Amino acid sequence: MNRRSVLRKLVASTSSIAVETANTIAPYSGPWTYLEASHLLRRATFALNRDTLEDAVDNGLDFTLDLLFADKPLPEPPINYFFEEDPNVMVGETWITKRTGDGLNGYRHRSLRAWNFNLLRNEGIHLREKMTLFWHNHFVTESINDPRLRYLYITLLRNQGLGNFKTLTEAVTVDPAMLLYLNGHQNNKNAPNENYARELLELFTIGKGDLAGPGDYTNYTEDDVVALAKALTGWRVQGSNSDEIDEPFSYYDPNRHDTGEKLLSHRFDNVVISNSEENEYKEVIAIILGKTEVAKYICRKLYRYFVHHHISETIEQNIIEPLATIFMDNEWELKPVLQTLLTSEHFYSSEFFGTIITNPIEHIIKTLNITKIEIPQDDITTYEFHNNFHIKARNMQMEYFGPPNVAGWKVYYQAPAYYRNWISAVTLPLRMDFTDDLNLRRIRANEFDLSIDPLKIVDQIPTDISLDPNLLIQDLITVFYCQPMAQVQRDALKEILIPGLPDFEWTVEYGNYLDPNTTSEELKMAVRNKLKNLFRAMMTLPEYFVC
Amino acid sequence: MKRRNFLQSSLFASAPFMLNSLPVSALKHKQLFNFFNLENDKILILIELSGGNDGLNTVVPLDQYANLFNHRSNIIIPESALLTMNATNGLHPSMVGMKRLYDDARLSIIQNVGYENQNRSHFRSIDIWNSASAADEYINTGWMGRYLDQNHPTYPDNYPNEDFPDPIAMTIGSLTSDTCQGIGSNFSLAIQNPDNLSALPDYGEFQYPDTLYGNELEYLANSIQQTNAYQEVLTAASEAGTNLSPKYEINGSTRLKERLQVIARLISGGLRTKVYITSIGGFDTHSGQVESNNFAQGTHAELLFELSDAIEAFQDDLKLQGLEEKVVGMTFSEFGRRIKSNGSLGTDHGSAAPMFVFGSCINAGVIGNNPTIAAEVANQEGVAMDYDFKSIYGSILMDWFEVEESTVRSILYSDFQYLPIISSCQTTSVDPVEDLGYSITLSPNPTHGPVNLDIELDKPEWIKLGVFDTLGAQIKLISNQSLGTGHHLIQFELNDLSTGIYFVRCQFKNSSKTFRIVKS
Repeated sequence: MNRRSVLRKLVASTSSIAVETANTIAPYSGPWTYLEASHLLRRATFALNRDTLEDAVDNGLDFTLDLLFADKPLPEPPINYFFEEDPNVMVGETWITKRTGDGLNGYRHRSLRAWNFNLLRNEGIHLREKMTLFWHNHFVTESINDPRLRYLYITLLRNQGLGNFKTLTEAVTVDPAMLLYLNGHQNNKNAPNENYARELLELFTIGKGDLAGPGDYTNYTEDDVVALAKALTGWRVQGSNSDEIDEPFSYYDPNRHDTGEKLLSHRFDNVVISNSEENEYKEVIAIILGKTEVAKYICRKLYRYFVHHHISETIEQNIIEPLATIFMDNEWELKPVLQTLLTSEHFYSSEFFGTIITNPIEHIIKTLNITKIEIPQDDITTYEFHNNFHIKARNMQMEYFGPPNVAGWKVYYQAPAYYRNWISAVTLPLRMDFTDDLNLRRIRANEFDLSIDPLKIVDQIPTDISLDPNLLIQDLITVFYCQPMAQVQRDALKEILIPGLPDFEWTVEYGNYLDPNTTSEELKMAVRNKLKNLFRAMMTLPEYFVC
Repeated sequence: MKRRNFLQSSLFASAPFMLNSLPVSALKHKQLFNFFNLENDKILILIELSGGNDGLNTVVPLDQYANLFNHRSNIIIPESALLTMNATNGLHPSMVGMKRLYDDARLSIIQNVGYENQNRSHFRSIDIWNSASAADEYINTGWMGRYLDQNHPTYPDNYPNEDFPDPIAMTIGSLTSDTCQGIGSNFSLAIQNPDNLSALPDYGEFQYPDTLYGNELEYLANSIQQTNAYQEVLTAASEAGTNLSPKYEINGSTRLKERLQVIARLISGGLRTKVYITSIGGFDTHSGQVESNNFAQGTHAELLFELSDAIEAFQDDLKLQGLEEKVVGMTFSEFGRRIKSNGSLGTDHGSAAPMFVFGSCINAGVIGNNPTIAAEVANQEGVAMDYDFKSIYGSILMDWFEVEESTVRSILYSDFQYLPIISSCQTTSVDPVEDLGYSITLSPNPTHGPVNLDIELDKPEWIKLGVFDTLGAQIKLISNQSLGTGHHLIQFELNDLSTGIYFVRCQFKNSSKTFRIVKS
């Protein structure tokens, strides 16, 4: 089949889909249409646009999934893109292994967050950035002072986010940013600090169960927090914010380690942790991960991130528990779990299409990527724009490197509203301002004006579609939205494109614009303005805010 | 799909919950609705101190200072620096503004507020405070949300309307407050700046399918329409309102101050929003709570200064505008911190802590006893709870919003202790401590097991007696009964408990007394 006709065939005269739910992790074998393909791309990547959607439909589920999990080298590190007063880092060089000093962290933070945002936007068909964000929301650190430590932390998550959960948890436990954030750095035999031990249990691994008795949270007890804190004593961070040390690091100081025996509660089978010095934290993690509840806890969290917030008894039994078994059977390897979930009958239940309110970063990147907006490639402009996007996401209540607290963003855990917590009378206008800026006005950085040119999108659509306003709107809907739209809404959109005019007027005007013999700058502007109104409307409708 | 269905279907996330064995929807249409005084024009301000405020360095118990010093010598505020309130209480030196409010009979401190079986997780604990659930209950609605559900059972359908043109509740900030989560919808409209609002594009009403997808679209469409509808009244109120206090300028501006200033202006502009919620974060002071060379300074001092300075300016503004009698404010925090400091110039998650209530229509002064700080305390020991926070919520609902006591009980799902927090608005001086009408002694202490509680009552009383451990968990309930006037001896045994420290909490109808007891 000619790939350009795939969408055409699929979009024709659909207005609603049957709601179906399959509560099984058995491999999906149903039809592979743009609906399923776009569901996968929206949930697992930041890269949806008309081209990637067509490719995914053409390539099929298995091939697309291979792309998502393909091996991939780490990106080049962030650079000093403009700051001329760093004695150790020239403009154009990376600062990640260079000592800092007074007034040097500011530009590095700017560089890091812009670099990071750009990675998300340009990730392509791959799962890595979605998983890096997942782990950032899971193993939270926030507002770490030294940008080099932020870099080490996020690189750890990026490098191991699709690897092994046990290895990842071990690495995070002695990561310098985490040691500083949850006071592991201060945790010593004379003054144990329980902060990390508590969150390791409550948020990072096993989760807090119901209160079963005094200080007993079913999965662990207050005494376990105390005992594990002692087992984790002795870790230090060297070189944070240092103007003498190029590469900050964590290390183990035996003099600060509690060498005594640590007795765990019956929740951990009264295990005793004996002194094993710098390897003791690994034993702590091995003991916690000895419990099946950990696998379920992590699988629930993955489920809420990729599928839906509501976990019924049926879903717990038919989806979460089998996934947890796969997780344990594969000794905490993440790929088998994610592959099973993302290829399952359940994941492709049409009931879930478009049921997660996009997070602010997704909202911004979706807008940039579906419109194939182009940002000048030079360092300063690229960094400046992505820094700008980072700040816009922050204002919409999602700051990368700055989740609100150690539990991560509220939308991923706070019942009953979950993803709806993104939306408020403050954040909704900011989301619309962003798309309005790009559609009707401009966003400026480094003296470059960025805006959406809708003609760039529409001109790439085959003319047998784009000349018919009904088909054109259908086509845009398949890329902009998760489900087909009712006729009445499509008519309303057409009314915005060609107010009060019959369909053929669009065919004539757009046809004249395409025809080299009849086109003109004035006509091009007129057609573009019509399309701007349409794009603006489509990006401020409720359908645009879900994925 | 009708809005009504939307409301009901959004319950899918939780099992339909029941009040007194009746479905909530049945209750709210029937008997409860008329119990409210819809003419009530009182306003409540809630300020969340996010992170868990260290009450022991905020309201310092002077009569316990020597022992307290031993447990937190690396962070305790020097006695000479404290702002003396009375013989036994000193405020943190950076709380000059609130000290002035106290002297002006506009501040009430309720000592040792917490809940049974204190949970030391931030997230679980703030959920408990927001939902007003017991420590072992999971409730998806907020206490203010349930109160507002009673008056506005169909919200957000057809809101705003002629009778209720204004937002029912507001959060000054970017997120709605879980306190205001009702059964179907959150009542709090979040705004940052009422002067910076513009209409959102709204392309009219569509019928969304009754599916998970349709429900999300309906929710978003509602949010768009409501944001637009409320924006007009907010802009009008903000333009009509004013701020008169010069104190907003003195000491510079802070975020909390700016937010309270916005609230004062909206109230001044005639907005009839019942509840305003805002927050100040950073109280999770595991490290660097104080500066190593000056314990009266550091993160905690800065936070308390911001709080105190902002509340004083706000109250002054209301006073200058003659609005004091409409507004009462209250602070809350998920927990207090431990008695012993840690090695990082900080404190770890603890139990009870004081709450502040401010306004002119309150019983100014200190309600409750100072916490008892023993010479030896366990590492994890927090301040024992005297008052359940639900008692403060309940008393405010009753006296400030004029809600029937029985209804308050159904909103809070529990018994609560009535506390005289709200009073007539004519108070001009700090109330003397009133005669509580009982005396009570506990012996022996330490004990090997048997405990005698001698109680002398001037009037019949109801008494609930419980034993708690140092984490705040209730170990046993001794008694929950009415007693007549006269002398009573209640005897009980602790011989089944391991040796250590416990708290015996005696809860009367309107007050509490907690004994720290050592089992040896």
